[in-house]
Amino acid sequence: MMINSCRKIMKPLCAEVYKLLTLPSVWITLAGTFLLNVVLCTVIASSALNGAAGTPDILSFSFASMGYVQAGFVILGILAVCSEYAGGQIRTTLIAMPWRCFQLSAKLLALSIITIPAACMIASASILCSWIWMRDTSAAIAISTLAKSLAGATGYLTFTTLLSAAVGGLFKRMIPALAVLIGYYFVVSPLTDRLLPGLVPFLPVTAGYYMYMPSSSDSLHVLTPLQGTGVTALWTLIFIAAAVVVYRRRDA
Amino acid sequence: MKAFKTELWKLLSLPGIRMALLIGVIAPALIAALDSLAEKGEIITGVSTRLAEIGYIGLALGVQGAIVLGVLAVSSEYRTESSEADSGKQITTSLTAVPARLRYLLAKACAVAMISLVLSVAAILTTVSSTMLILGDHSPAFEPSRLIGAVCYWVLTALLAMGITLITRSGIIPLAILIINSSLVSFSFILSKVTPLAYYLPDRAGADMFMLDRYSPPLTGGLVMLAWVVVIFGAAAILFLRRDIAS
Repeated sequence: MMINSCRKIMKPLCAEVYKLLTLPSVWITLAGTFLLNVVLCTVIASSALNGAAGTPDILSFSFASMGYVQAGFVILGILAVCSEYAGGQIRTTLIAMPWRCFQLSAKLLALSIITIPAACMIASASILCSWIWMRDTSAAIAISTLAKSLAGATGYLTFTTLLSAAVGGLFKRMIPALAVLIGYYFVVSPLTDRLLPGLVPFLPVTAGYYMYMPSSSDSLHVLTPLQGTGVTALWTLIFIAAAVVVYRRRDA
Repeated sequence: MKAFKTELWKLLSLPGIRMALLIGVIAPALIAALDSLAEKGEIITGVSTRLAEIGYIGLALGVQGAIVLGVLAVSSEYRTESSEADSGKQITTSLTAVPARLRYLLAKACAVAMISLVLSVAAILTTVSSTMLILGDHSPAFEPSRLIGAVCYWVLTALLAMGITLITRSGIIPLAILIINSSLVSFSFILSKVTPLAYYLPDRAGADMFMLDRYSPPLTGGLVMLAWVVVIFGAAAILFLRRDIAS
């Protein structure tokens, strides 16, 4: 009985992981994001070296590129879900796996399995790249702070991917989902920073900032990393729940 | 003329383009309104340093409507996600109807330019009225020369989006890059900290046409952006003429 239910879970999960791994666009997106990250880290670190006085904090500079790199993970999330709808693959998927709620959960789990190592690798590359540029001038960082920030960055990028996948599921099509998400992440969110500072800690993108940025005494730093994780996870869960409800009721 | 009319009709009947038009009319007005509300106190007391940018900031940051329009005009021909026949490639049908590819491309570019022109005028109307509604007598003077600059910026942005999508044939990359670059946290902004050459990237040069925080004079900015559009469009046209459309 136990073996049976284990197989019941593992089979669709393996199928989803395999499906994602064989999508060329997933690999292209991840490789593009990695390269973009390295270039941006180099640009940010070299511009910081030109203008900085004293001992710059490596972690703040390494994660400054995170704001841009998240675009790659937004695309990854949308691709994973919306590629099912291009060419009607969704019907084949649902014939093989008719329990929609279970199928979407397996897909999101498979997406996390791929995203977590990729996000960890990209965040580590950011830190390494900034360290190479700033090793002579920067202050030393404690290993525990480094590990916490790395875990926070990985978690943030994974939540971003899952949230984007959920929004992709709601829209079914890539272009509208991408326009809405990139528009929110890059246009609306920086504007709310300036115009509605009171709401900032509780919005999806800005709450995630507290997950990986090293805490400072600055008055805007109102959430702890754990609280930031909680708010981001809550937003992700709300969108996933909405996506599951819509997916179950909609004509595929 | 016939091809132009057809392209115009085709674009206007796409649901995605209607969404782009809606974004194009609402987003700049909303951004300008929020910015005016945030700055209102300082403007009334006369200590605001940003009065000359109020309203225009909506036209600079709210250009997503034009970007989505330019991207969708091309990407919808290559892949219609809702259609499953022939992988949804409408381009084969379009080129059967208008086999001269250059004529087809020109007709499409004219249609995109025309729609983005009307869209930018509508955006200016909503932005100016929302700013005036909030600031009343304190609203900045909207000079025609700067507004014409904003119209040119929108039309050239739409054409740039169209040109890049013609090269990539998929809307994802151009849409992501152009929307990020139209925001407060653009790539050009980061690059401009390293090299002054970044001021000659299309978005920075284009914004010089109507924003006061400028690097080069409005006319030079406009010409630089036009040069970018011509080069990218030229490359896209060469690729489009030589490519196997069915592949």
